[in-house]
Amino acid sequence: MAEFKPKIVVFACNWCTYAALDLAGTSRMKYPANFRVIKVMCSGRVDPQFVLEAFKQGADGVIVAGCHPGDCHYVNGNMKTLRRMTMLKKMLEEMGIEKERFRLEWISAAEATKWVQVANEMVEQVKALGPLKPRLEVKE
Amino acid sequence: MSEEIRIGVYVCHCGLNIAGVVNVKEVVEYAKTLPNVVVAKDYVFMCSAPGQAMIKEDIKEHKLNRVVVAACSPAMHEPTFRGVLGDAGLNPYLFEMANIREHCSWVHPDDKEAATEKAKELVRMAVAKARLLEPLEKIKSAVRPAVLVIGGGVAGLRATLDLVERGFDVYLVEKRSVLGGNAVKLGELAYTTLTGKDVVNSLVEKIKANPKAHIFLNSEVEKVDGSIGDFRVTVTRRLGEGKEEKIELNVGAIIVAIGYDPYEPAIGEYGYKTTDKVVTLFQLMDILSEEGPTKGELLIGGIRPKSLAFILCVGSLSTTPNAKPYCSRMCCSASLKTILKIKEKYPDIDVYVFYKDMRTYGKEEDLYWKAIENEVKFIRFDEAPSVKPRDKFVEVEAFDTTIQERIAIPVDAVVLANGMVPATDTEKIRIMLKIGCGADGFLKEAHLKLRPVEALTDGIFLAGVATGPKNIIESIASGSAAAAKAATIVTKEEIEVEPLIARVNEDMCSGCGICAALCPYEAITIEVKEDGKRISKVNSMLCKGCGTCAAACPSGAMQQSGFKDNQVMAQVVATFRGE
Amino acid sequence: MSEKPKIALYWCASCGGCEEAVLDLAEKVLDLVNAVDIVFWPVAVDFKIEDVEKLPDKSITASLINGGIRLTEHEKVVKLLRQKSQYVIAYGACSAWGGIPGLANLYKREELLSRAYFEVPTVVNEEKVLPRTYKDEELGIEVEVPEVLPRLLPLDRVIEVDYYVPGCPPTPDVTWNAIQALLSGNLPPKGSVIGASSKALCDECPLNETKPDKLLIKEFKRITEFTPDPEKCLLAQGLPCLGPVTRGGCGALCIKANMPCTGCFGMLDNVSDYGAKALSFLASILDVEDEKEVERQVKEKIADLVGRLYRYTLPSSKLGGKVFKR
Repeated sequence: MAEFKPKIVVFACNWCTYAALDLAGTSRMKYPANFRVIKVMCSGRVDPQFVLEAFKQGADGVIVAGCHPGDCHYVNGNMKTLRRMTMLKKMLEEMGIEKERFRLEWISAAEATKWVQVANEMVEQVKALGPLKPRLEVKE
Repeated sequence: MSEEIRIGVYVCHCGLNIAGVVNVKEVVEYAKTLPNVVVAKDYVFMCSAPGQAMIKEDIKEHKLNRVVVAACSPAMHEPTFRGVLGDAGLNPYLFEMANIREHCSWVHPDDKEAATEKAKELVRMAVAKARLLEPLEKIKSAVRPAVLVIGGGVAGLRATLDLVERGFDVYLVEKRSVLGGNAVKLGELAYTTLTGKDVVNSLVEKIKANPKAHIFLNSEVEKVDGSIGDFRVTVTRRLGEGKEEKIELNVGAIIVAIGYDPYEPAIGEYGYKTTDKVVTLFQLMDILSEEGPTKGELLIGGIRPKSLAFILCVGSLSTTPNAKPYCSRMCCSASLKTILKIKEKYPDIDVYVFYKDMRTYGKEEDLYWKAIENEVKFIRFDEAPSVKPRDKFVEVEAFDTTIQERIAIPVDAVVLANGMVPATDTEKIRIMLKIGCGADGFLKEAHLKLRPVEALTDGIFLAGVATGPKNIIESIASGSAAAAKAATIVTKEEIEVEPLIARVNEDMCSGCGICAALCPYEAITIEVKEDGKRISKVNSMLCKGCGTCAAACPSGAMQQSGFKDNQVMAQVVATFRGE
Repeated sequence: MSEKPKIALYWCASCGGCEEAVLDLAEKVLDLVNAVDIVFWPVAVDFKIEDVEKLPDKSITASLINGGIRLTEHEKVVKLLRQKSQYVIAYGACSAWGGIPGLANLYKREELLSRAYFEVPTVVNEEKVLPRTYKDEELGIEVEVPEVLPRLLPLDRVIEVDYYVPGCPPTPDVTWNAIQALLSGNLPPKGSVIGASSKALCDECPLNETKPDKLLIKEFKRITEFTPDPEKCLLAQGLPCLGPVTRGGCGALCIKANMPCTGCFGMLDNVSDYGAKALSFLASILDVEDEKEVERQVKEKIADLVGRLYRYTLPSSKLGGKVFKR
């Protein structure tokens, strides 16, 4: 069997996490190539529908990431993210999606190392769980 | 959509930065297979003049109506390429970038195959979004050539003076009955023979002489409506005998210079308020002032002390449970400067300085060496010293980390070098102006390094200690900086704001009001139509384009331009498959 | 007679409420019967599958199908109706999105069969017999028993659906609007919802105007905890009313009975996953900043999160139901 290469979708806010990933680049840090980043201006833009769509399309994991609480570029957008994603975590759990597949992370523009750590950890955890997509197709 | 979508994809080598890892040619060939892509090219530096020219020519030749550039981070060159589209007569917002440098080649140098695969997918995602992009126009609005300055401390005064000298009307609103803020208490300043009061007076005189300056003392800002270029402000002025008047102002920009409060130690914190022999640095400076209660005579608790202990970092650097984690920036220098002045007047006094970290940064290092020359004794601590009031003296006990021994020094009086905390009004102002504050409680800059005197809300600027501890030089400099930034707005007749904002589809909106409750800028209101139906309205000058309303809108009626549901969804889908 | 449009009605996995809903048209049912020929309606008229098979393709003007697809038999019949009909209408919540029986998608088929045939207290089944096709020795024939599908599916996952009529069940007004649209031929683009509103329930809710300027709540409440003020928006009173995320058209029936909307008219055109969107707006207005407090309220005040937010739409959701380990 071919090696399982999980694909993980990252919804990153423009001001903190997206910039942290840029910093990881300019600092020539290395992390696995499993992530596909979708930029939004604020993590508060992330509609839970986007997360579910990602899983539906075949994401093995999803990360929603923004500025630290109290540090939102838009006053408190991340607090709405916190509430939505906390509730979404619970819903995903009830829907049978392992909690390791969905993470809410606060990563500031300076925390490239935190991003690399989260990235490595996530790939490892998701690899251990195996692919999700085949399990979505309920057949005989 | 009647118009045929014609996308051009441009893959940058960035020298070897991208091409050294990603197989650029392969990405170009892949891009050509994507639906609606009519041309795909690579070039060594897409941002260079020839690169830009190539895109411009292609837009005309291939009748492109969408452009995707796969290169560095959009933080780097998105504005550049939007400009290219504009120059070629295409709407600048019909542009999307795939970040294949910072997010790809630079971080996956060891796996060229995976990096190339990822680059292809990032291009596919960008193309999927580009296909759904819509032309957007910047939003324009008229500007009022006047500025409101909140707070009449040194930062606010400097900002006011700079702006009135440039010919703008400035409304300076000060809560207290006098101008000058905390600076008037500072006594003689380092490197000068000037006192804080002298500095304040020189600013105030010039301001009062200028007819463009409108000073409101005993006044507070009650309400702020509107947005950049056109703020409507209500000020309440106390007239005495419980009377007050309301003043309505209309300004194009606002400078917030609300300063700080000195940290007030808790009762018993370093013996504070358990004996009259423990005073704060601010109280000491008042004692030493010619206009103070003792006419400048050094008397603490009724006696002229023969020995003094200064404890630094009171309220700062987390020295006690109540203390703030940050450094208050002025207390080390202010303490040493005061000590030197005392030593000059009373050479017989023994002075001990208990410090955690001596931060006489920059030129002020000189104060530290002068203090050593004047036989001031420095004792370094990690754990906060304890202060024990005895009958005739006060005992300061600490573990001296230099000699690695616990020592106890009896002194006649103790001075607590108290730091700075956010002014009491900070929270009220923050909410009123809808600007952010950090975990430390100070107002938050739009960007600490790149935009240090701008608030997160357009048209609002921050000066002085309102954003965090500063010394007097830094406060005055930031006052000037804020004035210069405010001037860039009020000199214009019209301003433009980014169109990546929320817009509501009235045919779908039920007026449920979820969006209005969430907007951090109060840009959304619910309007009642003639038929009694409720509809959400977005004030496009107030909206900052965070999109939190769109994420919540239960009807999908609220959409954020540039980040519409279908645009983001298209990216999600394209992460996994081509169409 | 032969000029009249032909109509078929069929039920799949449904409670029968949608059948009643047609009769709820009251005297208008007579107008309906006068205006059309009913060619198939197992619950009311004695036509057989064979009668439908004999009809030429596309000869039925419209088939109104209610209920979700749970059995192989449902699959077979709806495919036949698709072949014979010009329009196929998913009638009612179950057909459109799976409906309440669709909540069974939180369980594996084996769990469902075991529960229904072995575990329910009123069932005595010592020999553990499950429905299956068998040979009747006496009659010498094969008795075909339809099989249970692994998951309940909304109608449009099995056949192409032209229009949707929402509701659990659709109200008489909505049903009549939809029938009139069909008979007049004045129809919106294929795939649209017909008969109901294009806006959320709040638009027609009499309590919409009572909402506060800032619709934020500190705590969700359960309907069992208090009697809500009938003059005030239920959501503003802390009840997780799903009106904002639910298509209007019912006339706010539940609200008028002082009960929060549970979402039976489903999502609006710009929403692709009802439960996710419901979650998003509810979480947004819950004005607390502590993660643990959000978790507590979900647990204690919303309780059955999936059951509540996907009550009528689970099979049509992005995940379609619970994702099981292999």
